[in-house]
Amino acid sequence: MDKNKNILIKSGRIINLNKGKDDYSDILIIDGVITEINKEINGAGKNVTEIDAKGCIVSPGFVDMHVHLREPGFEDEETIETGTMAAVKGGVTTVACMANTKPVIDNQSLVKYILEKSRSASCRVLPVAAMTVGLEGKSITEMGLLSEAGAVGFSDDGMCVRDSRIMYEIMRYSNQFDVPLILHEEDYFISGSGLVNEGYYSTMLGLEGISSLSEDLIIERDITLAKKSGAKIHVTHLSTRGAVEMIERAKNEGVRITCDVTPHHLFFNDSYLTSFNTNFKVKPPIRSEEDRLALVEGIKKGVIDAIVSDHAPHLDIEKNTTFRLASFGTIGLETLFSAAFTRLCVEEKLDLHKFISLITTSPSKIIGINASEIKVGEVANITVLDTEKEEEVKKENIVSKSKNSVFIGHKLRGKVICTISRGSLVYRLNNL
Amino acid sequence: MLSKKSIIDPDDLSLEDINLILTNADSFLEISGRDVKKVPALRGKTIANLFFEPSTRTRSSFEIAAKRLSADIINFSSPSSSIVKGESIIDTLRTILSMKVDLVIIRHGDSGVVKIVDGIVGVPVINAGDGKHQHPTQALLDLYTIKKRFEKFDGLKVAIVGDFINSRVARSDLTLFEKMGMKVSIVSPAMLLPEDFSKMNVKHCIDDVIEESDIIYMLRMQFERQDRKFYPSIMEYNRFLSLNLDRLIRMKPGSIVMHPGPVNRGIEITDEVMEVGGSLRDKVAIEYQVTYGVAIRMAVIYLILS
Repeated sequence: MDKNKNILIKSGRIINLNKGKDDYSDILIIDGVITEINKEINGAGKNVTEIDAKGCIVSPGFVDMHVHLREPGFEDEETIETGTMAAVKGGVTTVACMANTKPVIDNQSLVKYILEKSRSASCRVLPVAAMTVGLEGKSITEMGLLSEAGAVGFSDDGMCVRDSRIMYEIMRYSNQFDVPLILHEEDYFISGSGLVNEGYYSTMLGLEGISSLSEDLIIERDITLAKKSGAKIHVTHLSTRGAVEMIERAKNEGVRITCDVTPHHLFFNDSYLTSFNTNFKVKPPIRSEEDRLALVEGIKKGVIDAIVSDHAPHLDIEKNTTFRLASFGTIGLETLFSAAFTRLCVEEKLDLHKFISLITTSPSKIIGINASEIKVGEVANITVLDTEKEEEVKKENIVSKSKNSVFIGHKLRGKVICTISRGSLVYRLNNL
Repeated sequence: MLSKKSIIDPDDLSLEDINLILTNADSFLEISGRDVKKVPALRGKTIANLFFEPSTRTRSSFEIAAKRLSADIINFSSPSSSIVKGESIIDTLRTILSMKVDLVIIRHGDSGVVKIVDGIVGVPVINAGDGKHQHPTQALLDLYTIKKRFEKFDGLKVAIVGDFINSRVARSDLTLFEKMGMKVSIVSPAMLLPEDFSKMNVKHCIDDVIEESDIIYMLRMQFERQDRKFYPSIMEYNRFLSLNLDRLIRMKPGSIVMHPGPVNRGIEITDEVMEVGGSLRDKVAIEYQVTYGVAIRMAVIYLILS
């Protein structure tokens, strides 16, 4: 008997998004499959790993539809192995990884490579393939073959297709396969050599600014193109108030548009830049308090559909330098839940079910996968969380290969107690 | 004693710190006027003057200040551009520090660098200008120049004119001028000042402030810090932003013109203003700034190391 596949979760509050009402029950998992959900299941003699979930919530495993695992090509920063270890520490049991690897995920063999690697990883990894060959914004990839091979979406993330005609063709073509386009919206003429949000702080700190127009203009373009083409578009990592407003309007007009936001854009505003901590150098930039509040409001109003980490590992040497030279990005898988939970549920009193849907059912729907549920007969993908526990993020506790977390030194609420992915207990908090 | 051991950002300076520095500068100014311009105050101390960006004036000013205090000073110059990714400024600093220095003066082309290295190096640091961020000793010497002329700060009207977005001097001056109770307005065209920067009293033409200001602070048009052409032309600049003789004449009695140097003649200040004689000569305080700069830097170094 594999004790990692035979698990008894005792006395937790089981989140049931469909019913809208939670049960306080035990869950018995035998050979990775949920076999019984009942009050007071007796584990004695069953040779199971028992998890005491009293006072904890038991949620379907999280889905993070925007991460960079850096493999192949940048294994010094992260690998599928280490990245998924970070994922399950954060309660995430499915990740969709972006295509800006080396080589770029723009052909079938790389999609298959990722899926093959996923099998031995700590959690499920689903590849997002490039929209254009080499992320060059010029020729459309083999979207049909790539989606047949297992790509769950298409994105040139990190890059924005400048040529509007090519973007329009990508949209028309993607429509043929009904696959989502995950869009990094940035007007390079506006962002130029900018490093941070353009505004009072960029001016006072002497750091080149990136105007919110950079994001707004391209979103406006892509909404127009989506309206005409009928394509399914997903705008990732929103950062501006304008973006939330435009997407709300587009949704009301029936455009097939969805969007997501990262915990760091919900958590910080640009006043944090005064520390010159290069982990705050991210793209899109962390914007003003007004923008941050608009993002929070966008979640409350249901304009924003998902929360993603945009986990972007970088070596110390790429971050331990001047602001101008530092790479863009922060890691975020390990803090996905706790950072967003702290701001949204603890401070803004967002409904817990609503919040959990943003990191489970809602992103699953966008990338067209079945959301895992906690019910008898299902392979277990479960996260147990202590939502009362508050802890400071410390560099030495990070399991990701790169340590560039913008949350280091900040106290976050909510801690993952254990994670069961594809039926196996893949993470368990040490001190239990 | 200063409240912090390093001078990185003018915000770090308390009102007491500022007054202490300005008062000390008086006695150091006197030393620079002597025949033998040297006191043994800092004998045996070693100072590293690290310039990762070309500079003659500021570097020399610090060097003279240190020498007049009898400290030993070493100059290290390396353009920022040669400090490439992977070759960290921290390593360069460690090398210098291994030679046991007591104070590090740093200029660097990237904003925020001095703040990042402070705390790592373990000895006091003076920011001699970091990118477009801050240049605190320049702001202190500007304050000193104003104090010598007006003998007060409170209520003085200052207009900072020109390329605000690319100027570290402007940022430091703005902070210290406001801290001392002066009324600051900024005269800058749209492309040299971000739109969101609306907290300030912003004007677009020097004529809007020329008659009412006690101090017209002209900024250097920082062509070397612009990766693209920001402003249409010098002729356009002259029309709206330059200080010419006509504008100098319209300035109110007792008012002065300042500039952090080096002046781009014919751009922010015309030749005729730079060479003006007679009673108007007194209005141009630019050379005083340089002289007072040495006294201020002596005061700062002395207060940190003594």
